[in-house]
Amino acid sequence: MSSSDSSSSSASDDPNPKLKPQPLESQFQSSLTLEDSDGVARTDDASVAEQQQEQQDEGSGNGSVDGVVNVEDNGHRDSSDREEGIGSGEARDGDGGSGGGGGVVWRRANSEVELEVEAPASPSSSGYAGGRGSSGASSASRADDASEEDEIEVVGNDDGGAVGAPDSQAEWTPGKRHVDEDDASISWRKRKKHFFILSNSGKPIYSRYGDEHKLAGFSATLQAIISFVENGGDRVKYVKAGMHQVVFLVKGPIYLVCISCTEEPFESLVAQLELVYGQMILILTKSLNRCFEKNPKFDMTPLLGGTDVVFSALIHSFSWNPAAFLHAYACLPLPYATRQAAGAILQDVADSGVLFALLMCKHRVGTSLKVISLVGAQKASLHPDDMLLLGNFIMSSESFRQVTSESFSPICLPRYNPMAFLHAYVHYFDADTYLILLTTRSDAFYHLKDCRIRIETVLLKSNVLSEVQRSTLDGGMRVEDLSVDLQQHTGSTSRVEDKPHTETPERIRESSLVGLGGPAGLWHFLYRSVYLDQYVSSEFSSPINTHRQQKRLYRAYQKLYVSMHSKGIGPHKTQFRRDENYVLLCWVTPDFELYAAFDPLADKALAIKTCNKVCQWVKDVENEIFLLGASPFSW
Amino acid sequence: MQLCIFDLRRGQQEGQELDKILFFFPADLPFATQLSVIGLSEGLITFTRIFSPDAACEVIEAERHSHVFYEAESDIWMVMVVDKSKESKAACQVDALRKVLKEVHSLFVLFHGTMRSMLEKETSGGLIRSHLYPFITDYLSAYQKQSLLCNCCWDFLTGRKLQLPSFHDCLMERGTVQMLTVGREAAIEVQSLVKVLECSAGTTSCYSLVLFQDLLVSTTLSPDDTISLFTYAVLRLTPHALSSGATSWSYLQRTNAGSQVPALSTITNSGSVSDNIYRSRDASLDQENNCQVKRPLHHNRWFRGNDGFLASDIWGTDNGSQTSVTPIVYLQLTEERMYLCAYQHKSLTIILLVPVSSILNGEQGLSLVKQQVLENASLKMLMVEEKLSKGWGGENAYHVSGYRYLLVDDERVSRASPPAKVMTLAKESLLALSKLREEVNLEKKRAKCSNSEVNCDKELEICVRAKNGAWVIARTSRGKELYMVLEKASETLLYAADSVEKFSNRYCSGVFSLD
Repeated sequence: MSSSDSSSSSASDDPNPKLKPQPLESQFQSSLTLEDSDGVARTDDASVAEQQQEQQDEGSGNGSVDGVVNVEDNGHRDSSDREEGIGSGEARDGDGGSGGGGGVVWRRANSEVELEVEAPASPSSSGYAGGRGSSGASSASRADDASEEDEIEVVGNDDGGAVGAPDSQAEWTPGKRHVDEDDASISWRKRKKHFFILSNSGKPIYSRYGDEHKLAGFSATLQAIISFVENGGDRVKYVKAGMHQVVFLVKGPIYLVCISCTEEPFESLVAQLELVYGQMILILTKSLNRCFEKNPKFDMTPLLGGTDVVFSALIHSFSWNPAAFLHAYACLPLPYATRQAAGAILQDVADSGVLFALLMCKHRVGTSLKVISLVGAQKASLHPDDMLLLGNFIMSSESFRQVTSESFSPICLPRYNPMAFLHAYVHYFDADTYLILLTTRSDAFYHLKDCRIRIETVLLKSNVLSEVQRSTLDGGMRVEDLSVDLQQHTGSTSRVEDKPHTETPERIRESSLVGLGGPAGLWHFLYRSVYLDQYVSSEFSSPINTHRQQKRLYRAYQKLYVSMHSKGIGPHKTQFRRDENYVLLCWVTPDFELYAAFDPLADKALAIKTCNKVCQWVKDVENEIFLLGASPFSW
Repeated sequence: MQLCIFDLRRGQQEGQELDKILFFFPADLPFATQLSVIGLSEGLITFTRIFSPDAACEVIEAERHSHVFYEAESDIWMVMVVDKSKESKAACQVDALRKVLKEVHSLFVLFHGTMRSMLEKETSGGLIRSHLYPFITDYLSAYQKQSLLCNCCWDFLTGRKLQLPSFHDCLMERGTVQMLTVGREAAIEVQSLVKVLECSAGTTSCYSLVLFQDLLVSTTLSPDDTISLFTYAVLRLTPHALSSGATSWSYLQRTNAGSQVPALSTITNSGSVSDNIYRSRDASLDQENNCQVKRPLHHNRWFRGNDGFLASDIWGTDNGSQTSVTPIVYLQLTEERMYLCAYQHKSLTIILLVPVSSILNGEQGLSLVKQQVLENASLKMLMVEEKLSKGWGGENAYHVSGYRYLLVDDERVSRASPPAKVMTLAKESLLALSKLREEVNLEKKRAKCSNSEVNCDKELEICVRAKNGAWVIARTSRGKELYMVLEKASETLLYAADSVEKFSNRYCSGVFSLD
């Protein structure tokens, strides 16, 4: 299997001749010892290494599996690696390994290269976990975590950056928790939202809570339900019991199940399962189906080992990232000229054989990633869901996040082409801002590196990066900013005639109004531009201060979205909804969708007026808050 | 459609699975298929209890079928399987489908007592099976004359067309009673009539139910019993039900109203698969019970006697007097057995429930009571009927022009636009409302779950402007619910809200008005 896959996807690419010999040779040593750590493996920690070696030995049986995974990165090394299962497995880390053993070479060549590989060679999750900084539950993985940090230091030391700086992901710690639980534990049964991935033979692949291995029996039950219904010539969608919903999604040989009592509508949950599946495809491509064709009992866990953190971050985002249900992405507010400047250089690069170039930034801790600019080669368009998944993958993977380091990693964009790997070059300019260059060529590392250098030069010259930093600090639109306008112009007709006094949304706010919400009890809004596939969300302000309140509002929006877009009869035009928590107003037109939350006692007439003002406001500043024109979707 | 009833306490040993099945429709499905439906249901009940021990499986939604669950009595489950490709309209009405199951069950209990008690009385299950089968088939009225002419059992079954609740019914609420609005004067008359009636029986513990047309005027029964008895009256007793033979409530789309043939006997004779099954399984019992099983829902078996009392041969005739036997019903809470006497004068139907224990010598004693009623109350009944008729606005009495609405009070009493008026609405509007009602039901359920003991009154206001421009509105407040479709309202939300306000002030004593 490995051979077929690899040949199809990457064998055609000539491994970079410069790179090949060194990593290859060193790989067997370095990666044998360090194999798990895909690129982070440059530890000299012998114990960890030994552990991994053992795991790897076990893994050799799965050589074929590894082969599949390895397909892409093998581009870097020659195919001889794949002679043995182990070899191929390592081939993958080999990239990582190249950082280790081969790392020397790499570093010689370019002082800060760090190659990334996602697919684990080792069958045990812990091995990979180390790489991803996630935890597979096992203590080994913790050790890996630690060692990874050390390694980071080593690597990062090349330019003294990011010395083992722990990830500052604020409240939410990534990674899997409650691994000691299983379906017999009361606490496990009471978890509000479970996600499971299993194979059609009932083998557990991923569980949000609890140890997959202990959940084998439970997994088999899920499989039995699905196949029972399937045998009746039908396909089960969901089961409801009390406040619980069990939602099923069948994707060829992969079954996905969500068990939730969060009151999210079925449509939302199934969309989330689709994203979870997409995330898996992003890591492995759909060609994994072939493994199941060949061997129905195929065990996929090794391939995903250590990616727990990616999935748990994605699932976590389902309760705060509007992109997950809006199917749109957000942009960082920037002066029009600044974004133009960024777009121009990205376009330059795209013309030189880069498929997609994305300049992204993480907008404050815990909030969604935002696009600064993005450009696609001609005819290529990037689906917002792919951006979400790609962003999640990169942001949740510790090893990508070393400032000034470079990573090169095969990834698959499920909406773009679920069958093939692309290669992503990722580079962080600073703690929050990073560049992703996607190419079809596995040997394009140096080219992309050059591109990055060009981009960086231009960005620095045109002050884009400092503008980005300023914007990150200032934040986005605030409902309070609207209040001044409204108060000045109360009594005006439903639409704002005069432009809200705002050139950029991040202007100085009237301090007296901060924390009181906006006019007419406006607390928050989301605005989605239909044509641009982008949305803008106001900053959270009082009284939506706490995480809990934000999550509740998020869920309310999500419900409203589903209600407005109900299948068969939607979309509705407007909706007004008042309950004990909010007044929600939603307005869907062919051009945009507006979701606004007000104080539950808000006056209807005023609320409507305010919504009109918000729309006007957004239109007035759309140059700054949206990425216009450069959209790849316009083709 | 498939409908099954099974008891989880039975047939737990391997090889005895069939024993679980108390009822299966259509009965001629192979046992393997029946068992697979029940197996899946049972499996999911067990599975969902892992996470939701208090509320097990309610619905399985698959691409082509919906399985709707109702735990009628503890461990006795009713499951309805709806084929979405055939009954696509019914697909999204899970709650309405569950109410059908609930209604069947409460009617069964009304006449036969609980299923559990029947199972305890006769543990082999033969008794309950022989009762359930005709009862539910009568309820579903699934048989048509034309298909009966066909000897082939298969054709016979495919010939049926079941009319399940669909989105068209989203402006009505099953399992509620519809009340007649009466003026103060008429109300006083009714009140005194009720007193006289209940005194005539000579005992204090009798109950009465007064209906005018298909609307409830007065009841002294508990709410649950009122609903069951009201449902039965509208199905079989009111002038409308008596005259049409068919009923407006039937799920069967009749090609030929009034063509109900006592279907079961025909089938029995034709030796259908289903009947063979039941025969072979409960051979002895079946033989014995066949003539004894009462079928209270049997069509066209009620008629008005010369004395004004309604009579039916369903329960046989009294050997001595040649009068028909008076049916006995069970009250839900007390499980008390009551004689059901129904009197009809023009549009007025009066149901008097007399405790069996208070009548010493059966039919004879009852006829004395009836006589008493006639003597004491017939004049009053005439007067009440006249008063109510005068005040009665006819079929469209509760039509409010410009509005299509449903008002539900405390989940027991409802009033709605007349069906003929609802028919004028566009399909899109009805679908949108149907969907909205689902959302509201979910919110209500959530409110109930989260604060079970305190007031579970959900305050909610949703106004949706659907794609076709219609306003679809749901309001819940202080235990009352209002659903509304405004197709000709203007574009603005404010206008729609204003319409609701006006309606609320005028017809709901301002419950939904904003203070």
